[in-house]
Amino acid sequence: MKLSKRGLNTAAYVVFIALILAAPLVFDVFWLNRLSKYLVFGMLGAAIALSWGYAGVLNLGQGLFFGLGAYAIAMSLKLASATSLAQGSDTPIPDFMLWNAEPGAPTELCCITQGSFLWIPFQHTWFGILMGIVLPVVVALALGLIMFRKRISGVFISIITLAVVLLVRLLIVQAQPLTNGFNGLTDLGYLTVLGLEFDPYMPQTYYLIAISLALVLIGTRMLVETRSGLILQAIRDDDRRARFLGFDVPRYQAFFFCVSAAISGYAGMLYVMASEFASPTFMDLSFSITMVVWAAVGGRNSVLGACIGALLINMIEATVSETPALMEAWRVVIGLAFVFAVLFLPRGLAGLAMSLRDWLVARSAAEPRSLAEPAPAEERS
Amino acid sequence: MPSTLIGADPASAALTLDGLTVDFAGFRAVDTVSTVIESGELRVLLGANGAGKTTLMDLVSGKTRPTTGRVFLGDIEITGLEEHRIAQAGLGRKFQIPSVFRDLSVRRNLEVASCRNPGVFANLRLGFSLAQTRRVEEILAVVGLESKQEVEAGSLSHGETQWLELGMLMAQDPKVILLDEPTAGMTEAETMKTAAIIKAMRGRHTIVVVEHDMAFVREIASRITVMHLGRILAEGPIAEIETNPDVRAAYLGSKGIQ
Ligand SMILES: Nc1ncnc2c1ncn2[C@@H]1O[C@H](COP(=O)(O)OP(=O)(O)O)[C@@H](O)[C@H]1O
Ligand SMILES: [Mg+2]
Repeated sequence: MKLSKRGLNTAAYVVFIALILAAPLVFDVFWLNRLSKYLVFGMLGAAIALSWGYAGVLNLGQGLFFGLGAYAIAMSLKLASATSLAQGSDTPIPDFMLWNAEPGAPTELCCITQGSFLWIPFQHTWFGILMGIVLPVVVALALGLIMFRKRISGVFISIITLAVVLLVRLLIVQAQPLTNGFNGLTDLGYLTVLGLEFDPYMPQTYYLIAISLALVLIGTRMLVETRSGLILQAIRDDDRRARFLGFDVPRYQAFFFCVSAAISGYAGMLYVMASEFASPTFMDLSFSITMVVWAAVGGRNSVLGACIGALLINMIEATVSETPALMEAWRVVIGLAFVFAVLFLPRGLAGLAMSLRDWLVARSAAEPRSLAEPAPAEERS
Repeated sequence: MPSTLIGADPASAALTLDGLTVDFAGFRAVDTVSTVIESGELRVLLGANGAGKTTLMDLVSGKTRPTTGRVFLGDIEITGLEEHRIAQAGLGRKFQIPSVFRDLSVRRNLEVASCRNPGVFANLRLGFSLAQTRRVEEILAVVGLESKQEVEAGSLSHGETQWLELGMLMAQDPKVILLDEPTAGMTEAETMKTAAIIKAMRGRHTIVVVEHDMAFVREIASRITVMHLGRILAEGPIAEIETNPDVRAAYLGSKGIQ
């Protein structure tokens, strides 16, 4: 049988999506809930691959977009929780606002604490969901246009994004009366859409996340195949050449930066549904760096590879973490895996898979006749 | 049209430089350069190292803003526009150090260059038109990279990289093309092949080329402009330039044109 690269790439996606959709047949609810969180991390891996691998923009603050998405929906779900409705006022109000309120302050979102009116529109769940995408995209657009118009690149982008995520984290922690500071938003209600309740331990939540991941993977893969996706990769390789061909480079970079932010914001929302909390730890530097490690190990030039990298690392970690001694060793292993991937396996695990794919294609092509063609360029998958 | 160049026929001028000057902290790398390049012309720019040839191309293509002076592409003024706007107006440029998209295949490089519409939203679609594909194939044949079309551009030899970049300019299809030392570092055989490629581009584009190799210049040139210390020293057909005493003194030394 003749094999083609495209065929094998498609097969990899089909197999992966089939596996995640079939997981509920094998796992119990506890594991399914865990797995759904890892799928969310896989989505983050894909977002990193898009910006790091395809755009050449190493964002060390991806957690900012994830966190904004998480907080946006968590605000809505907080107001939808039973405790928020039982604070003795006609309209819902988060319990922590009462704990932090000045004596005698009215128990109303309008004026219980300074800025609490910002919560008012989040009483509508659709607003929280909308903001979960809009906020990360607006922030990414502003940040992206400034950075890319000023032709900032490489390590300077990493430093700026890193600084911004730490700044926003600080603001959230500082605004304790408004955000519950370090403790984050807990005790949330379930998201309910058209009477369907997304309890994190019910299969519908798992399926929502698994199907979302499948769509994000397919969508991202198709996006990088478009002309714009090709031009983006061209800009990554040589932005000056692209500019002199007539492309408005900052627009391309900013557009894909926003797409990556939107995916991350969406992932943040799904994570809140699976874990029932939002916390400033989402904007910890270590979390954003961990995402980069997933993509490096899985393969930053591959949307699916980076996603699988995130899944694999988290699954191994979950297994290992049951033994405390192993957990310490695991941190070292992860560090070494990152260094190894950067030094010796720049295409990550996906690179190995692509070599295998190319070997299979070459072998199947060689069957009738000997191959006299030059080595083909690696395509990305 | 620029006042200093009355007499030039605006209908046939492809590129007009009018008193182009740039000051780098007091140092005039390009000093009041004025010239008209006719539509369809192939102009060679000669000059010793440091004469200001690359800087002149930077001024025309938008990499550097001129201190004074103006640039017209046809009858559109492009002075001081951003690089991509100038490119969209119909100017293509090849750099002295070849630059291609290293991680994309040779074919992809040409396809990217052939995307006429520059907008990110307009390009959110899959595949290329039949006309584009056909043109890419023609170009692959002209630059002789058909057998390497699926190879990553980063793994091409130096000569092949230069030819790919020429091919990308053909795919971009601008009215005016600036080539900065396209044969630098090439073997004699490669130089001759490059001359053939540039000749093939000639009918379709107006070309300005910086070149030192006199065999190459004799092979392709119609008119020559000689630059010295940022100024135009002489301009004319090759026979005239070769016998010009100023040129001999300033640029060619005692040896004359080889
Ligand atoms: N950005 C710059 N700042 C200062 N001096 C420059 C700059 N660019 C070029 N020069 C100077 O301008 C002169 C002309 O350089 P260049 O145009 O590269 O010459 P050519 O291409 O003819 O060899 C050189 O002396 C160079 O050092
Ligand atoms: Mg030069």
